[in-house]
Amino acid sequence: MEFDYFFRNPDLPAIDDGPLKGLNIAIQPNIAVKGWPSDAGSRALSGYTALEDSTVIKRVKDAGAYIGGSTRMSEFGFGLNESHAGEAVKQGVADAELLLDMTGEARVAAAERGVPGYKPSYGLISRLGLTNLIPSMESCGVTSKNIQNIRNILAVIAGQDGLDFSMPDTDRPDFRKREILPAKTTIGLITEAVNMLPEKERGLFQASINSLKDSGFIIREFSLPDFHLFSLVHSIAGSVEASSCAGRYDSVRYGERAPGAKNWNEMYIKSRGAAFGSLLKCFLIQGAYFQFEQYRSFEDACRIRARLLKEMDNIYSHADFLVFPALNPTGTEETEGLSSIYKRFSFTLFANVTGQPVLCLPVASGAGLPGVQLAGPRNSDAGVLTLGEYILNRRDGGK
Amino acid sequence: MIMEFEAVIGLEIHVELNCATKLFCDCPNNPGDEPNANTCPTCLWFPGAVPRLSEEALKKAALLCLGFGAELQPVSAFDQKVYYYPDLPKGYQLSQAHLPLSRGGGIEITNEEGVTRRLRIHHIHMEEDVAKLVHEMEGRTPISLVDFNRAGAPLVEIVTEPDFRTPFEAMEFLKALRTQVRYVGSSECSMENGTMRADANISIRPKGTTELNTKVEVKNMNSIKHVGDAIAYEIKRQTESVMAGEAVTLHTRLWDPDKKITSPMRAKFEGPCVPDPVVPVIELSSEWIDEMRSRLPEMPSERAERFVKQYGLTGDEAVYLSSDPATARYFEELTKQAIQPRTAMHWLITQLIPAVRERGQELDNSNVTPERFGALLKMLGRDEINANAAREVVIYMFDGNESPEEIVKSRGFVQVSDEAALESLIDQVLSEEPAAVQDVRSGLEKAKGFLVGQVMKLSKGKANPKVVKELLEKRL
Repeated sequence: MEFDYFFRNPDLPAIDDGPLKGLNIAIQPNIAVKGWPSDAGSRALSGYTALEDSTVIKRVKDAGAYIGGSTRMSEFGFGLNESHAGEAVKQGVADAELLLDMTGEARVAAAERGVPGYKPSYGLISRLGLTNLIPSMESCGVTSKNIQNIRNILAVIAGQDGLDFSMPDTDRPDFRKREILPAKTTIGLITEAVNMLPEKERGLFQASINSLKDSGFIIREFSLPDFHLFSLVHSIAGSVEASSCAGRYDSVRYGERAPGAKNWNEMYIKSRGAAFGSLLKCFLIQGAYFQFEQYRSFEDACRIRARLLKEMDNIYSHADFLVFPALNPTGTEETEGLSSIYKRFSFTLFANVTGQPVLCLPVASGAGLPGVQLAGPRNSDAGVLTLGEYILNRRDGGK
Repeated sequence: MIMEFEAVIGLEIHVELNCATKLFCDCPNNPGDEPNANTCPTCLWFPGAVPRLSEEALKKAALLCLGFGAELQPVSAFDQKVYYYPDLPKGYQLSQAHLPLSRGGGIEITNEEGVTRRLRIHHIHMEEDVAKLVHEMEGRTPISLVDFNRAGAPLVEIVTEPDFRTPFEAMEFLKALRTQVRYVGSSECSMENGTMRADANISIRPKGTTELNTKVEVKNMNSIKHVGDAIAYEIKRQTESVMAGEAVTLHTRLWDPDKKITSPMRAKFEGPCVPDPVVPVIELSSEWIDEMRSRLPEMPSERAERFVKQYGLTGDEAVYLSSDPATARYFEELTKQAIQPRTAMHWLITQLIPAVRERGQELDNSNVTPERFGALLKMLGRDEINANAAREVVIYMFDGNESPEEIVKSRGFVQVSDEAALESLIDQVLSEEPAAVQDVRSGLEKAKGFLVGQVMKLSKGKANPKVVKELLEKRL
């Protein structure tokens, strides 16, 4: 694939000092850079130009990084249809890319392109200036070939900015490398998740678990019979949030107004409907259906979400990290519709529902392996990154 | 047998908090400014904007709740009230539908039968106001405009229990509510200026039964009197339609203040309310709540009670003085200067307040400060001037900052109590009015007053009427 930016930074990189000096970062047009087109891949926002830098942009710029441009994205970043996410990093055009992870986009885009992708803990990164869709499940993700880059970027962008009150009122987290002692580190896997893989991929995944065991890690299996409910909860609660959230992308104050309305109320309603693409429309209508017609199911989904969070916490009281496959090889035949999205992201959705940090590694993805996700409890970001680095170093050292 | 009906009435009152900023951003909370002057990406709900709950609004709302004896909830949260209309382009209003800021509370009123009733509040929640729609003509083309100055303005909604039975009770409740909210300083609560809006839910039932029947919501009343009128009209309308065998259906009606009728507006909106995933849940610690409670001023009913005990006022006088915090403050400033409470009350209510209002001033920032007004009342108490003169001095006091003593001296208001000086005036009057003298001697009391008046007139109002009367009585 020939890579080209959706919007290329017209300014040349300045020589700025700072912890991210010399780093060329790509973004997607749902991350606000003052004066840049910020349509979030949607006709509903066509022509919308960001008024201010988002907090993440302000912070990486202040740290000396250069924003090379924004890459083509799927509508509001949902799913990865027609998205070029991960491509700039894969082709070496950019050192890292920032992209919103709401169903697993940062991880799946990275895994499919053979580079590491990371979704930070929920609430770790300011949302100011991010055109969101599923606020309670999103986090600004980072892909880069080099985990040290991910760590450095995270150290710069994470923490309170005083402008996003949904973030915890804590000090800026410490992302420095921790020590990993395999013999004292328990890595768990969830049987029901692994069993979702076809036999061949399951074998390959098992092989990578075995190599962790060979490195001296303690491997433990856990049962979470409700693992499949993560997808259901995401589909219901996520679509309800999206339906409300997308209400403001009204195509009246920006975007394109629909013609032929008899009065302004009708103009608003028609414009809203006309602008969205069919996949997003399905998602939003599903959300509206649960809001208006099946509110009880939405409440059930919220309750199940709370229960799943507890069950995950319980598992983490017996394991330091969990390991999951990243890609679902059975999900690649269907290409259209909501169900194909939920199949494609069936291994990543859990972390959006729970808000835990996940690093996706392209371990031996050349051999058809579905990639490996390393997950930890919420706000264990530094540990997850350290583990990822340890595994990659060991693999590369072993070549 | 004629069936008798009673009304079941509940109120939903929106109060706009007098905060400096809007509820979720730092824009000035001045809806009346130049259209769209007070806007930012947050209250315009541009992509990437993040709402930030105002601490001032939370505190003012909390004080308002505590003033009604309501229970602040340790956990409350914002929901999205989803509906699509151009005054709300983001598609949902942030409101507390599931977990309100407070529950319970109430207000005591005296109804038309003289019975004291406690009317209960179900809950109080915070919410944001929506934009204002303006429909105009541009030449011959009708145009519609949106003014976002009001979008995001901080509101609280007070939802009562259906405890009211008459329009009178609803009006008394609103008056008492207004007084209390002004006391805690959270809002001016003016229905005329739109900082208080009251909607009424009305249903009827046969007297003596307890069921709650289908209710009708009535909106668009812009004074407390209109609320009473609209409720009275609606009770009559529903009673007539039930008597005619028609069912009451759930809907919303608009009050037309000119025609004095209500007319149907739309089916009552019952859209979904989903928890908002962005605004953090509000958790109030018991320390925080105690701190708010300690900031609560003495409430009007407590103050009225104290005024009766401390100053020997009647109940009505005490309630009147304490219904407005500024009046109550002014009154107490006067009593601190050792002025008779009753004199202070009388002069404040009959002279000063009307004069302040006439000049479009507020008692709080009038140049006739309690110190200056008190000095005048002290002169009156020492008989240095008489009441007529004092009334005139009040008027002069508004013109500048001269002390009342200076005004009395420079304008010759000093009261003449010197008996020798007054005797000569009396001599003159007695010789000029022999008929009246005769009348007094034959027992006509009225004539005495006339003679006093003549002496006062001759003294150009400066004579001490008490002394004149005494001297006259000796002479007749």
